[in-house]
Amino acid sequence: MSAGTLARGLLAWAVSTVLACAVLHRAFALRIDRDHPSAVVASVWAGGKVVARAVLDSKVDRAPALDAAMQAHPGAMRVDESIVGEGLLWVRPETVFSLSLVAGHDGLAATFDGRTEYLTPDDLLSLQVYEKGIAVPGLGFATGVDVPVVFAALSERFGVSALDLIERARFRRIRTVRSPHSLQAPRVTAETMTKGDVRAAAVAAAEFLARGVDADGKFRYMVDAPGNRTLSGYDWPRHAGATYFLAQMSALTGDPAIVQAALRAANRLRERGLTDCGDHRCVGSDAVTDLGSTALCVIAFVEVARSHLDTSYASIVPSLASFLRSQQRPDGEFMHLYDRNARRPLDVQFLYFSGEASLALSRAHSLLGDPRDLEAASRSLAYLVGPAWSFFGSRYYFGEEHWTCQAMDDLWDRAPDMGALDFCTRWSAFNRKLQLGGADSPFDADGAFGLGPLLVPRLTPAGSRTEAAIATLDAMRRAGLDAREQAALDRQIRRSLALLIRHQFLPGPVHLLADAEAVRGAVPGSEVDWQLRIDYTQHMGSALVRWLSIAKSE
Amino acid sequence: MWLPGGPPWYLASPGMLSRRAALVFGLSDFVTATLIVFGVFGALPARWAPVDSVAALLAASKAASSAMLLAAATRAARRGTPVGSTSASDRWAWRLARAGAGFALAVGLFLVSTLALTASWLSGVYGTVGRGGAVVLALAAALVLPYLVVLPAVQLCWFAPKSEVGARG
Repeated sequence: MSAGTLARGLLAWAVSTVLACAVLHRAFALRIDRDHPSAVVASVWAGGKVVARAVLDSKVDRAPALDAAMQAHPGAMRVDESIVGEGLLWVRPETVFSLSLVAGHDGLAATFDGRTEYLTPDDLLSLQVYEKGIAVPGLGFATGVDVPVVFAALSERFGVSALDLIERARFRRIRTVRSPHSLQAPRVTAETMTKGDVRAAAVAAAEFLARGVDADGKFRYMVDAPGNRTLSGYDWPRHAGATYFLAQMSALTGDPAIVQAALRAANRLRERGLTDCGDHRCVGSDAVTDLGSTALCVIAFVEVARSHLDTSYASIVPSLASFLRSQQRPDGEFMHLYDRNARRPLDVQFLYFSGEASLALSRAHSLLGDPRDLEAASRSLAYLVGPAWSFFGSRYYFGEEHWTCQAMDDLWDRAPDMGALDFCTRWSAFNRKLQLGGADSPFDADGAFGLGPLLVPRLTPAGSRTEAAIATLDAMRRAGLDAREQAALDRQIRRSLALLIRHQFLPGPVHLLADAEAVRGAVPGSEVDWQLRIDYTQHMGSALVRWLSIAKSE
Repeated sequence: MWLPGGPPWYLASPGMLSRRAALVFGLSDFVTATLIVFGVFGALPARWAPVDSVAALLAASKAASSAMLLAAATRAARRGTPVGSTSASDRWAWRLARAGAGFALAVGLFLVSTLALTASWLSGVYGTVGRGGAVVLALAAALVLPYLVVLPAVQLCWFAPKSEVGARG
C-alpha cells in the first residue's frame, strides 16, 4: 500500500468518523421547548408516595382522579412535571441505558401494547436510583441509573416481566420541568447570599442534628430521606465532629434544644467512647485505636468547655492531649494507630488524622495553655506543609486534606507560620481551579468540587474544603496578604456556601419526603443522593459558622 | 496482515531500511509496548477481557517488533550495511514490524472512533460538558493518537514493500 493510498484511507476514516459523531449527537440531543410541553404528568403525592396520577395536555387541565385524591389525602400535594423535551433512549446494552438519563433531570416513557407509562425524574428520585448504576471500583463512586430497579418499577406498572418490556416496549427519554415552582427554595447565589441566609442555614442544620440525638446521646447517624428511615452504621470520629458543631451552634444561638443535644452527645462520648491507651486516655473500643477519633474528641470537648456548656470537659482534655503528643514522632509526623494490648504506637499514616491532631493540640493549648501542646501542634504543622508535601510536582497537585489549614489559622495568633499560610494559599488556589462553574455540567453545581462534568458532584467536599478555605482567608487577612488573592478566595468560598444552602433541605422537595419536617435542615450526599449522614450536615454547618465568625469581624 | 492495495504481509518483499530507522522504530515500538502495558494493566482500575486481550496482543506484537528491529539494527551495524533483504532475520523483522504497525493502526482507528462517538453520544445526552469535559477528551485523544495512529501510519509508509518504494531512511 502506497503512502497516497494510506493517506486517502485515513482521510476517509476521519471524515466518516466526524459525520457519524454529528449524526449520533443529533439523534440523542434533546430539543427543549419549555413553552410548549408535549404533555404534563400530574401527580398527587402524599407521605412521599404517588397516590394518583394523570397525563394531561396542559397544566390548567383538571382530572377527576386527581381532585378525588386531593380530597382523600389531607396534606397531599399536586405536582406537575411538564415534558419539555423527548429523545432517543437505548435500553441495551445496560451500560448505555444506565448512562442515558441525566441525573435529577431526565425520566423515561415506556410504551407497551399501545399504553404509555412515565417514570418521571420525581419517580426516580423517590426510588433513589440515580448514581447507583455502575460502580467504579477503586474510586469509590457509582454513576448512571440503577437499571434493575427501573425495570422493576416499570414491570409493576405494566404487569409484565422486565424481559417482555425489553423485547417489546418502546422507550423514550424525557426531560421535565417541575411546578409549582414554590417547591424550590429561593435560589441563593454567591452574589445574593446574605449573613441572614448563612445563619438560617446553620441553625436549620443544627436543629436537624439535634433532633436526631436520642436520650443516650446517640445521633441518627444515617437517614434515608425519602422514607425517613434510620440506616445502620456508626463511628466515633463523626459523632465527635457532629458534637463539635452542635457545641459551636449552642454558643451561637443558646437554643436549649441544641444545647441539650450537644451535652447528651458529649456525655455519650465521655461515658462510652473513652478508654485507656497505655498511660493515657483515648477514644475507641478495639484493641487497636486510631489517632483521628481522639483528635476530634479533643476538638469537641474543647468546644463544649470554652463555650461554657459544661466546663468540666476541660479536665478530660489533658490526658487526651498527652495521648496525641505521645503518638508524635521527632520529625513532627504522628503515628496514627495505637496497639492497646502491646501498649505501643503503630507508625502508619492515613488521610486527615495528622491535620486533625494538629488542630486538636492547638485547641487544647488555647483552652488550657500547656506549652507542650503548642509546641507539638506547631511542629506537626511545619511537617504537614513541608516534608509531608514535598515531591516532584507538589506545586501543581494537592489532596483533599482539609484540617491542616484550619490548624494553621488556629495557631496564627500564637505561632504564625508563613510557610503554612503560603501552602494553604496555594491549596486554595488549586481548589479554585477544580471548582465547577454553572456551565460546566448539567447539574446545579456552581461552587462544587466534582469528578468531571458527567458525575453529580458530592456536597461534602464543598463543605469540608470551604471550612479550610475560610480559615485560610482569615489568616490571609490577619497577615495582610494580597487583596486580589483574598477577593478571589472570598468569591470561591461564597460560591461553595451558596451551593450548600441551595441543596440543603430547607425544606427541600417536600412531596418526595415521607416526613419533610424530620429531615428539615439536613444536607444530602448530593443533588440526587438523599442519604443523610451526620458528617454531611456537620461539615457544611461548621463552614457556615466559620464564615459567620469572619463576616462578623469585617 | 493484509492491507488494501498490497499483497499479504508475509508475501511482500521487504524494502531496505537504514540502521538509524531500524533503531528509531525499534525504540518507539518498545516505548509503545511499555505504555500499553502500564496504561491498560497498571492504570485501568478493572479487568475486562475485550480490552485486556487486545492490549496484550498489541503489546506483544510491539515488543516482538521492537526486539527484532533492534537486533536487525545491531547486525546491520556489525555488517556495515542497511537492514535489508539479504538476511532472513532482517526479513522477519521487517514483516513483523509492518504487521505490528497495521494492527496498531487498526486498533488506533477503532479506538479513536469509539472515543469520538462516545463523546458525541454523551454530549448529546448531557448537553454541555464544559471545559473539564473538553480537557479530558483532548487528553484521551492526545494519548491515543501519537502512538496508535500517527506512529503506525508513518511505519507503514516507511516499511512499504520494495515493489512500492526503494530504500528508506
